[in-house]
Amino acid sequence: MNLLAVKQPPSGLTPNPRTSPVLISAALISLGFVALPLVYLIGRALQGDIESVRIVVFRAKTLEVFTTTVSLVVLVAGLATFLGSALAWTLQSIDLPRRNLIRALVILPIAIPSYVFTYCWLSLGILPDGFLAAVVVLTLSTTPYVTLAAMAALRRIDSSQVDVAHTLGLNQFQIFLRVTLPQMRNALAAGALLVSLYVLSDFGAVSLLGVDTFTRTIQNTYQGSFDRSSAAVLALMLVALSGIVISLEVSSRKKTQVTRSSVSITKQIEPIDSLKARIIAISLLSTYILAALIAPMSVLLFRFFARPKPIDLLGLSQAAFSTILVAAIGALIALLLALPIALLALRASLIGKVAERGVLLVNALPGVVMGLALVAFGSDFPMIYQTVGLLGVAYAILFLARSVGTIRTSLARVPENLTEIAATLGQSKARIFYRVTLPLAAPGVLSGTLLVLLSAMKELPATLMLRPTGFETLATEMWSNTAIFRFSEAAPYALLLVIIAAIPTFLISRPDRQESTEPMRDEI
Amino acid sequence: MNYATKMLRKYPPANYGFPMFKRLAASLLTLSLVASLAACSSSKIDGDSLVIYSGRAEEYTGTLFEDFTRETGIKLDIRYGDSAALAAQILEEGDNSPADLFISQDAGALGAVSSEGLLATLDDAILNRVNEYFRSQNKDWVGLTGRVRILAYSPKRVTVLPRTVDDLTKPEWKGRLGIAPTNASFQAFVTAMIQTRGEVETEKWLRGIAANSPKYFEKNSLIVEAIDAGEIDAGLVNHYYIYEVAEELGREIDVKNSFFAPGDIGNLINASGIAILATSKKTEPAEKLIQFLLSDTAQQFFVDDVNEYSAVDSSQSPGELIPLSDIKAPRVDLAALKDLKRTQSLLIKVGLL
Repeated sequence: MNLLAVKQPPSGLTPNPRTSPVLISAALISLGFVALPLVYLIGRALQGDIESVRIVVFRAKTLEVFTTTVSLVVLVAGLATFLGSALAWTLQSIDLPRRNLIRALVILPIAIPSYVFTYCWLSLGILPDGFLAAVVVLTLSTTPYVTLAAMAALRRIDSSQVDVAHTLGLNQFQIFLRVTLPQMRNALAAGALLVSLYVLSDFGAVSLLGVDTFTRTIQNTYQGSFDRSSAAVLALMLVALSGIVISLEVSSRKKTQVTRSSVSITKQIEPIDSLKARIIAISLLSTYILAALIAPMSVLLFRFFARPKPIDLLGLSQAAFSTILVAAIGALIALLLALPIALLALRASLIGKVAERGVLLVNALPGVVMGLALVAFGSDFPMIYQTVGLLGVAYAILFLARSVGTIRTSLARVPENLTEIAATLGQSKARIFYRVTLPLAAPGVLSGTLLVLLSAMKELPATLMLRPTGFETLATEMWSNTAIFRFSEAAPYALLLVIIAAIPTFLISRPDRQESTEPMRDEI
Repeated sequence: MNYATKMLRKYPPANYGFPMFKRLAASLLTLSLVASLAACSSSKIDGDSLVIYSGRAEEYTGTLFEDFTRETGIKLDIRYGDSAALAAQILEEGDNSPADLFISQDAGALGAVSSEGLLATLDDAILNRVNEYFRSQNKDWVGLTGRVRILAYSPKRVTVLPRTVDDLTKPEWKGRLGIAPTNASFQAFVTAMIQTRGEVETEKWLRGIAANSPKYFEKNSLIVEAIDAGEIDAGLVNHYYIYEVAEELGREIDVKNSFFAPGDIGNLINASGIAILATSKKTEPAEKLIQFLLSDTAQQFFVDDVNEYSAVDSSQSPGELIPLSDIKAPRVDLAALKDLKRTQSLLIKVGLL
């Protein structure tokens, strides 16, 4: 999965065909949805009483919050990128038994919601409160975003380059630095961006650990003073910060021109099978899996078996059903919103570019802001307010960033000559898209959509505000128990949530088979 | 068969590629159809039932709501959430709020909604039912239960109990105290202090506390756990947390409650409360529910099972605690506890926020 990584070259072979108005209007609709929370925030911020906004914004604490947030983002993104690329390289280049299983286990930590992850780590009692703990917890739980991106990039590297480097006398490490790493760069930057946005919007970990980031401060402003304008101003500062992060990522992208044709020779790199390499690999992988998966899961299991009351099976299964249902609706809406954005972004259209950036900006917003934005707009329409549909829209807007990049990349890699051939055969554009482009891009489109599904299952603050009254998901059930300190009674819900979320996670972690079956296309 | 199709046949995309993609899309579609059907049939609240936004957890109302429906035949649709978040939601919904009633864990959230004019004036019979202290001055909400600020402490490590909150600024308390400055209950307490002592004195007290390098926590329950774990010796929390933490941990804990001297602001009595939304068209059944929750049986439940104080009968007290009438808490206007702006700027000024 290569997030946002491939810069599509201007289409040289075909004169850029006029973009269909249907596509443009679809993209404008997507853009409208993405703009909703931003419009809300600006509106609220403008309504503010200047004096109280001034007190909240120009306090000494704001600088401290800014510094804390930035350092947390930089450290976590840096560490996760390092760890994620190391894990991906190890998995891809060293001959290990049961690689598919290990691959799944390394990705699985993203199935654990950050509040559960942090709570579990805290109850282990070996983690101090505060900033360093937040760095550790957030790094462990966000690394899979980088690992996924890095694995996809590694699979696309042609081994003949590695062979050439070998014959030129470079050792493994030099090859990694000089051949492999440059080709992973864009993918790593994209992964690091997702991690940064995750850290910016995270509330679960920072609130439990008492780290004052923007998101926590925004939450406290709502909570303490019911002052929605000051909170909106703080949220806009967060948006500006994420804007900086996004432009950093965009400018760091190497302008690699990847022209894809169906004629390509990509030999997969031969895995290394030395004993030393295997031992190092296994210790790295098992340390990560121990810290990011086994440690939190064992606390959860311990809590599960220690719970004082029998499980409420009916409540549990209803909540599970509701969770899957509403997350699936969110994923479907996200897919529909993402496709036009990705298609237009590919054609370097302005709308597409703006929408793509907007999607990323919104991803950094805390769930509570998204919740209130849709409350403000939705409550005008009693027909849709507090229905699963509107909640699905909220999920889609919040997590679109996790799918648009992947979808765009996989669409970009559809061999141009195949669509051209289809066009010369007189197929309509819609038909070409459906019969050629979509099937070829399907694995990437699917991974992106599953990532939205997964994120939606774990979402809490927007869910609390927008779900239909009386509709409980696993996350809300978990919340209603932990809010009154019934941690053990929350355990069955948390455990089931992780188990259900593991399914899309597992599907995402499967190697992109398109690429592994792709190599020998040279006989055309 | 055209060339592209041939190519696709020859080099099929991913194993779980298109067929699976179609299947997934189909199942997502089916799910959403089922969902919209389910949403239409179930979630659209039927016209007769009362919609309650409750900041009070399900656990803390026990079977009271079911009992009410059984007795009166009035159906309830309850939306649980955090009091402050629900207040923000009601403010955001404005005139379009589907809620009939708002139940809050603290007076501040009710005050915030009240000051935007979103609450209906209550019937005198309801207002007069509760202890005068638990009536809002705007007559638009009443307290359901009393929740008292206390000092939670470790009986092993604290031998001389402070008489007033001012004692906590003395050097012997350096590094031993836990507070939760971001928490609504602490902020309500500081607001009350500003109300009774004025801003200058309160700032002095806050600076004294901050100079004693207390440990900061997100929640009251974490303070109690930290006392039990020996990390700190005492903390400023609400009275019921020691019961809750003990219940969650499933064992006795090494933490006790202590009131300050009679009349000290450290004994502030806050309230959980209930209000009817001004936009509600179901005033009569809504009033019935409030009366039900203020009935002797319901109030007894709050005292016995949830360890809170009764808003109706001040001689009742939970557990071994002294009754409300003996606490001699300072007179505070509960409705004014929503006025957190001054409190927050003060907390910001002394560096606690």
